[in-house]
Amino acid sequence: MLTDAVVNGITAGSVYALVAVGMTIIFGVLRAINFAHGEFYMLGTFGAWWGIETLDLPYIVSIPLALIIVATIALAVGVLVMKRLIDQPFQIGIVATLGVSLVLQNAVILIFGGAYKMFDGGWIEPVEILGVSLSEQRILIVVAALAIFGLLELVVHRTRFGKTIRAVSQNIEACKVVGVNVPAVVIGTFVLGCTLAALSGVLTAPVTVSLYGGMGTSITVKTFAIIVMGGVGNVSGTLFAAWLLGLMESFVASYLGLQFRDAVAFTALIAVLTFLPGGLFSKRERF
Amino acid sequence: MATMQLHEVNTHGSHIYNNPRHGLRITGFVVLVVALAAAPLVAGEYQLHALIVSMTFLLPALGLNLILGYAGMLSFAQMAFFGIGAYSSALTAMRWGTPFWLNLIIGGLAAGVVAVPLGIPALRLRRYSFVMCTLGFAVIAQTVAKNLVSVTRGDLGLSQVPRPRIALWSGGFEVTGITSYYYLALTLAVLAVVAFLALVSSAAGRYMIAIREDETLAASVGTPTWHYRMIAFALSAVFAGVGGSFYVHYFTVISPTVFDPFYANTVLVIVLGGGVGTVGGVVLGSFLFVAASEALRIAPDLRMIAYGLLLIVIVFACPEGLLPLFMRKLDGLKGRTHVA
Repeated sequence: MLTDAVVNGITAGSVYALVAVGMTIIFGVLRAINFAHGEFYMLGTFGAWWGIETLDLPYIVSIPLALIIVATIALAVGVLVMKRLIDQPFQIGIVATLGVSLVLQNAVILIFGGAYKMFDGGWIEPVEILGVSLSEQRILIVVAALAIFGLLELVVHRTRFGKTIRAVSQNIEACKVVGVNVPAVVIGTFVLGCTLAALSGVLTAPVTVSLYGGMGTSITVKTFAIIVMGGVGNVSGTLFAAWLLGLMESFVASYLGLQFRDAVAFTALIAVLTFLPGGLFSKRERF
Repeated sequence: MATMQLHEVNTHGSHIYNNPRHGLRITGFVVLVVALAAAPLVAGEYQLHALIVSMTFLLPALGLNLILGYAGMLSFAQMAFFGIGAYSSALTAMRWGTPFWLNLIIGGLAAGVVAVPLGIPALRLRRYSFVMCTLGFAVIAQTVAKNLVSVTRGDLGLSQVPRPRIALWSGGFEVTGITSYYYLALTLAVLAVVAFLALVSSAAGRYMIAIREDETLAASVGTPTWHYRMIAFALSAVFAGVGGSFYVHYFTVISPTVFDPFYANTVLVIVLGGGVGTVGGVVLGSFLFVAASEALRIAPDLRMIAYGLLLIVIVFACPEGLLPLFMRKLDGLKGRTHVA
């Protein structure tokens, strides 16, 4: 039971981490919380499901298909909404992204219906590692999360795009002065962040199996808890905070009862906000 | 002052604007009440139901307006307080058969009493942290309602909640017909609007506005800012709790779905769409966004898409809401300037 709880916690944490890191970099450049973030996770899952069910694609092909669909939607949202949030007070950002979330979520319900759907794909054969039996898909999730985080660290610190992201996060005015195309950076970051959320959704779908239009909401709210715990804008902090939340949830579900799992994130959130407003890994308050 | 100072924001990120008359004109209000009082003569049963629902939403919307429009803090806890009011009122009425007026008070008080210990950590926070803390509270409230099965019956919810019993203590009569419900709702809505107006026109209301405009400045001239933010937070919960109490005795059922984002978003659309920081705007918003969509029987998913688009358009195109926009247009037509 203990090893099961740990394995489940790390898998769930890796899923959360991929979603949360996108939200964190978007917050960095825009100073806006993306209330629609979970919706992109949901859209990723639905994109792959649609590819498998309607186009008869194998799972491996449905992954890039879902990512392309979500990136296109994110680009449209970025151009229509997120670009206008630059230099706006934070309440505007909350209300506008909440509006985006309502539109995306209910459009999916309108198109595909509100009922639960089964996700049929992925590699769910169990394998045995060090006496623990777990599905290949779970291993893939953890490995993919680690790889993406490594890649992100490289992108953020070693590439020109990463450099502009960091620059815009630090000082938007100065970036405009030296000629950085701020709207382009904002849109680019938004598309990247949303695509990561979608990737997380596609990778998790074979494990969670069921999908429905409203599934993004709980992901969004858990993501808030993670980025507050990890410290906003802190990429590796996000990974550790996500694993921590995954482990806490998993232990609460195993030892206290499944029904209390969804309250863990917010209890942790309120505790961290109250006692450690800079997150678990930093003394400085970020927002 | 005619123009809104839309580019100035306070430490909570709220817009600062000037609305000395709370967007409510006495003549307009009286005409509206008389028209609503006469409505049962012409309206059918379903239209009356739509009006009752919108007047039920008016109460949590007024609460959100108090905390967001007057004290300047965006809170997602409003529907949780609505639910707490509904559950506590229903449980008391089911167990002890209490009369309606007492249920209302219990619903309001229960919400207010929960708001105080939540406010102690939450009101230390600013901006995003406050928003998330209140959102977190709403999630926890729903989890409790789902899992405290011995009290709330979990996902099944409570059914056969007694109808409102109008009596001083025992005896009296039960409200059953739709028309009686309608007048009960109308009375409650008028009382709520009058109470709200009295509150925001009082010294406490002016302190809240001062805090919204500039908390540091308000504190520097001796306003006990923490004190008045707590009052605003608790009273917003009381408004929501009373609304929840009426809701539960009208529908006679309640389940944890009352904590769903659907309701919270509806209240947000009412306040932001109608005119945040005004009273008339919130009244307009309730009738426009709830009664209209109820009466037209728009499917919930379509309605939410419309709400979503509306939120996006409102924040970018007219962040002050529809009512102030209408009033300026009206004054412009009359060739009058809006004098503060």
